Amino acid sequence: MKLNIVRALGTFLLALCLFTVNAGELVVTDPWIRSAPPNAPALGAFMVLENHSGAEISVVAAYSSLAVDRVELHRTMMADGVMNMVPQKSIPVAPHSSTVLKPGSWHVMLIGPKKVPVMGQVVQLTLVLDNGTKQVVAATVRQGEKMMGEHAHDE
Amino acid sequence: MNKFTLLLGVMLFALGGCQQADEIPETEAAFVLPEVVTLADFKLTHPRLGEYGIENTRGKWSLFFFGYTHCPDVCPTELFMMAEMMRAIEKNPSVVVQPPQVVFVSLDPQRDTPESLQQYAAFYHASFIGITGPQSTVDQLSKEMGVFYERVYHRNGDVVTLDSEEDVPEELKDSYLINHSASIFLLNPAGDLHAIFAPPHDPNRMIRDLAVIQGAWR
Repeated sequence: MKLNIVRALGTFLLALCLFTVNAGELVVTDPWIRSAPPNAPALGAFMVLENHSGAEISVVAAYSSLAVDRVELHRTMMADGVMNMVPQKSIPVAPHSSTVLKPGSWHVMLIGPKKVPVMGQVVQLTLVLDNGTKQVVAATVRQGEKMMGEHAHDE
Repeated sequence: MNKFTLLLGVMLFALGGCQQADEIPETEAAFVLPEVVTLADFKLTHPRLGEYGIENTRGKWSLFFFGYTHCPDVCPTELFMMAEMMRAIEKNPSVVVQPPQVVFVSLDPQRDTPESLQQYAAFYHASFIGITGPQSTVDQLSKEMGVFYERVYHRNGDVVTLDSEEDVPEELKDSYLINHSASIFLLNPAGDLHAIFAPPHDPNRMIRDLAVIQGAWR
């Protein structure tokens, strides 16, 4: 019983904390993980980061509720037809602007998943911001989308 | 057309090969080689078919894509794009003369076994073929098609490139990346390199170009 109260209080505090972050500056929309083969050594997670504040906000780290070896921030860049995957120290979001994490661009990489999640499964991702706050988002596994085709928009 | 494709075209033209049809078909995105390139035979491995070489490409149109299963972003995107293309063809087979065979070649035989590669490729579409083999064979084939790739790892913000011959140090086994061309290479039913699709790719544009190229062949 006592434990339940503690748990409930914890959940309440966590919710309060999430609310505070959301109400302020960074709003995360449409978080998703690209469905991958059962033996995929890496998974890509994508979302839109909206900065409603007047100062730049950066995502400096991320982790996931899914058991993985590690989580990295990456960016795919193309130079002369060659795709370069470059690990990033942070993902910046300019004031009153948004950064789109999408295939062929910025993304969060879940490396070495113990078990690859199936379509429709929800994975919690925790984003660590440069101001020290954390934001938890629920990313649903769904099929990959077209990348940087003519329909893609730059952030 | 980007600089890379243009350079490749000039290079392949200089190398010479069999004469293409007098009229090069008009495509939206595909670069149809002025002369097809006859590829040297190669022996790679597929878990069910066993040895896979030029012979296996004869009698059908093949789309070759080079990558690796640890590929964080580009390979899943391209394989999904080609799966979308295959699904569209299955839904309406008359959009092309003949459905192509998609072949995914691993540039990373140190980590990809034929079994793991095939499982990975077939997840996107059951018809996909995954092949790999000795690094030297993979190198020969990719070089002939004009695929550029390099194995790199990132340390303290620096990019370190591994020599092509070099075995990967144990501690980097799960962390090196491969920067590689994202072009898709079309082999005709004679097993010759016929056209190149440079990125970005779109399933419907691929289908339209494929139909034009197939319709103009022979």
